[in-house]
Amino acid sequence: MLDPYLKEALVGKLTALADDEVVLAQRLSEWVAHAPILEEDIAIANLAQDELGHAKLYLELRQELDGSDPDQVVFLRDPLDYGNAVLVELPRGNWAFTMVRQYLFDAYEGLWLREAASSRYAPLAEVAARILKEERFHLKHSSLWVERLALGTEESHRRAQEALDLLFPYARQLFRPLEGEEALVEAGFVPDLKALEGPYLEEVGSFLKGVGLRVPEGGYVPKSRKEHTEHLWSLLAEMQSVARWDREAKAW
Amino acid sequence: MWGTEWPRWEVIKQDTERSLPQMVGSVHAADPEHALLLARHVFVRRPSAYALFVAPAEAFFHVTQEALKDPKALEVPEGEEEAYWVFAKRSHRRSMVYGDLVGRFLAKSPGEAVKEALLQTQGVAFWAVPERVILGTEPKAEVIESWFAPAKDKTYRLQSYYGLITAKEVEDA
Repeated sequence: MLDPYLKEALVGKLTALADDEVVLAQRLSEWVAHAPILEEDIAIANLAQDELGHAKLYLELRQELDGSDPDQVVFLRDPLDYGNAVLVELPRGNWAFTMVRQYLFDAYEGLWLREAASSRYAPLAEVAARILKEERFHLKHSSLWVERLALGTEESHRRAQEALDLLFPYARQLFRPLEGEEALVEAGFVPDLKALEGPYLEEVGSFLKGVGLRVPEGGYVPKSRKEHTEHLWSLLAEMQSVARWDREAKAW
Repeated sequence: MWGTEWPRWEVIKQDTERSLPQMVGSVHAADPEHALLLARHVFVRRPSAYALFVAPAEAFFHVTQEALKDPKALEVPEGEEEAYWVFAKRSHRRSMVYGDLVGRFLAKSPGEAVKEALLQTQGVAFWAVPERVILGTEPKAEVIESWFAPAKDKTYRLQSYYGLITAKEVEDA
């Protein structure tokens, strides 16, 4: 049996992990029918679906702990209770913005998952190993795009740099632990985010510099996952509209 | 490249370690690496695969069974001897018939490569492409795991599996 304090912290962590995936998936899915080319349209729909699948895995782990229904958690929870990082809720912007954000997120996820795959909480270790496989391919996709945009035309470079300038401080929020997360780290359940930030800055920094982008310094890093922009409200309003409109909906 | 479109790449998919690579369709992409990545998204989301290859569509020499009636159909300019991959489409019978890899042939032209392949197989259409323009996924465990394995755990159903939701079904739900 889990210590009640650890259990509560783990429920919070799993929810935050799922929230990042759900909100990012929703932003990605906004590209469907609007991507620059049919093939990328299919690709981005795949990415969105994968992220949703990852959210489902995290929420099923939560369900084992507290019996909560994943659908309820995603579709009927208020924005103030969402614990996603601001990075994933920002509007999708242009293609460069979407791809730079995806790269920054995928690189973080890759590092986190590699560590989490040896979590002492066995169900999480198993899920992390599964997600990691798919995320390695995601990172391949997003880094390929960042490279091409950065080294493409003057315009594509400008857009990639602009996106990076805006997004980079928000990416650093991913390394701010939740309240009570130290206990999970101590128990060996989750990786220590503070220890991962250094390797992340190194990996991402050398890749970005390698393709001729300037890694921004400073900027505002949100202090807690309770902080959101107004964009989360409209995103969730749209995403949750059907579920809220007809809670008994069985066919669509 | 023509117009504002990216070039087209033929996609070759190998389902298992033992199965023959098949030409399954094409993608538009900016460059070979991009094409390979998109091929994974478009053709191997479900079901799983073992390897993928892409080659620029314009690098393919193609000839139909009908055109082969002309004795000169395979007479194309010769160059240095090199390896070609030759594919054959063997029938028109089903809606989805892919070009199967007949083999790898050393030849001075794609026409000569097809001629070699014709000694081994029949078909309604043939393609030949120089091996040097083909880019494939690496047969490493890490690549197979991240590019293809996740599809294995996912439900795959043919399109015809999905029925239409009718008003009656909604009532019964």
